[in-house]
Amino acid sequence: MNNNHIENTKIRVTDLTFSYRGRRILNGMNENFEEFAVTAIVGPSGVGKSTLLMTLNRLWENIPRAQLSGRVEMKLGGRLMDIHDSSISPSHLRKLVGTVFQKPNPLPMSIFRNVAFPFKLSGEKDKKLIDRKVEEALRKAYLWDEVKDRLNHSAFALSGGQQQRLCIARSLVLEPEVLLLDEPTSSLDGKAAEVIEELILHLRERTTILAVSHYLDQVKRIADRVVRFSEEKEIM
Amino acid sequence: MKRPIEKLVTGFSWLCTIMLLGAVFSITGFLFAKGYSSLDTRLIFGDTGILDALLLKKQVFNGLFPAIAGTLVLVVMSVAWAIPVGIATGIYLAEYAGDRVRGLFNLFFDILAGIPSIVIGLFGFAFSVFLHKNVSKAIQPCLLISSIALAFLVLPYLIRTTQVALDGLPEDTRLGALALGATKMQNIFYVLLPKSLSGIMSGVILAIGRCAEDTAVIMLTGVVATAGIPGSLLSSYEALPFYIYYISSQYTTPEELLTGYGASIILLAMCVVLFSAAFFIKKRLTYMAFYRA
Repeated sequence: MNNNHIENTKIRVTDLTFSYRGRRILNGMNENFEEFAVTAIVGPSGVGKSTLLMTLNRLWENIPRAQLSGRVEMKLGGRLMDIHDSSISPSHLRKLVGTVFQKPNPLPMSIFRNVAFPFKLSGEKDKKLIDRKVEEALRKAYLWDEVKDRLNHSAFALSGGQQQRLCIARSLVLEPEVLLLDEPTSSLDGKAAEVIEELILHLRERTTILAVSHYLDQVKRIADRVVRFSEEKEIM
Repeated sequence: MKRPIEKLVTGFSWLCTIMLLGAVFSITGFLFAKGYSSLDTRLIFGDTGILDALLLKKQVFNGLFPAIAGTLVLVVMSVAWAIPVGIATGIYLAEYAGDRVRGLFNLFFDILAGIPSIVIGLFGFAFSVFLHKNVSKAIQPCLLISSIALAFLVLPYLIRTTQVALDGLPEDTRLGALALGATKMQNIFYVLLPKSLSGIMSGVILAIGRCAEDTAVIMLTGVVATAGIPGSLLSSYEALPFYIYYISSQYTTPEELLTGYGASIILLAMCVVLFSAAFFIKKRLTYMAFYRA
């Protein structure tokens, strides 16, 4: 591996094996993911694409009877660090690695509070800063104009596409270094999906994006690089 | 077109529903028909003035006021003991316990739910005797012991409804806040509990109903036929379910029995008020959880 390659690497996965209830889902995976690029992860259902994302933000640790071995390193503060290192807490890591799920999952609170929620978790009290950051995040997610007059309304009152953009805004509000997108457009109509694709292309300039997708057309439009999972769960 | 078997199942379901509705209307109708004539302020306050009774200036000796007050205090106290313990245990089982511990505890709580209430009453009585002998001679079967025994009776409902409500949340809801950096505790309090509030409050409503109607537990743990308004947690007290049992088994005149029907209507009305209060709180809390600014 040459130095240039390492310089561009944001995430490095080495011998990554993941099992759930005794079933091996990832089998000794090795892969590098480039910085400030959109990497699309494609392959048939059930081969571990979403599981891979869960290993990168340590969400797998919340799944009972899941086991992981191998190494996941991420460039944090300019150097590659093992994300399972004791100096990195899962909470801290997840503030640096935003995640958007397949199905929109707004929290049971208002639109504003949904986006401001990460600040609540980190104990931020500066209301002006929170207001500004919430507006910025909603603008980045192309949602501000649609919700600016009803920020105190329930997030559940939004349409599916709006809810998904709200979830993206919520993930962006702390300006994460990595964004994990697990089929973010699969539950949306064509128009809403287009908006999110445009957003992904826009975010690529300052964020490393890993997106699981089943749509090859979409992959062609947004991806700089494609990682293909096969039925045998090996990386091609 | 429906197949005959489908028609049969649909028809049977309808029939059962209609029969149940009929039974509910028959029972309440019968109670109202029998007890309506005895419903007046004399039934509740006896010879005591209403204001004097409400302000506790005079004791009510020949009315239901002490039994109504006793029932109300008993239900509120029992539910107040049971809610925090029941919800906390439900959270532990749903969110923290391993499969083996969860299976074991679930078995234990299922057994607790199946224990006849008279046995729990007997346990409460034995507990009060133990406290009387070993802690203080002032302790005897009383309001405090009854409320603790009733709390034990309703705990399995609260534990199970909390656990089921939390278990029923979809995985993406469960992981949403965690993915934003929430700790497990923050996830439970900010997301999982508000999302499962409706189910949990159903358990609270069930618990209120059970506390208001149970007679076996309180018979052995502190309720008496005449005690007046309880002066403290260590006092004996009166309660409507026991009054209904007592008057219907000991009445000497038909008029006395009619007061039993009147007491039943008042107990039903109290349940309706308590259920409505719990339902209002449920709606309010759900609204606050989902729509707070």
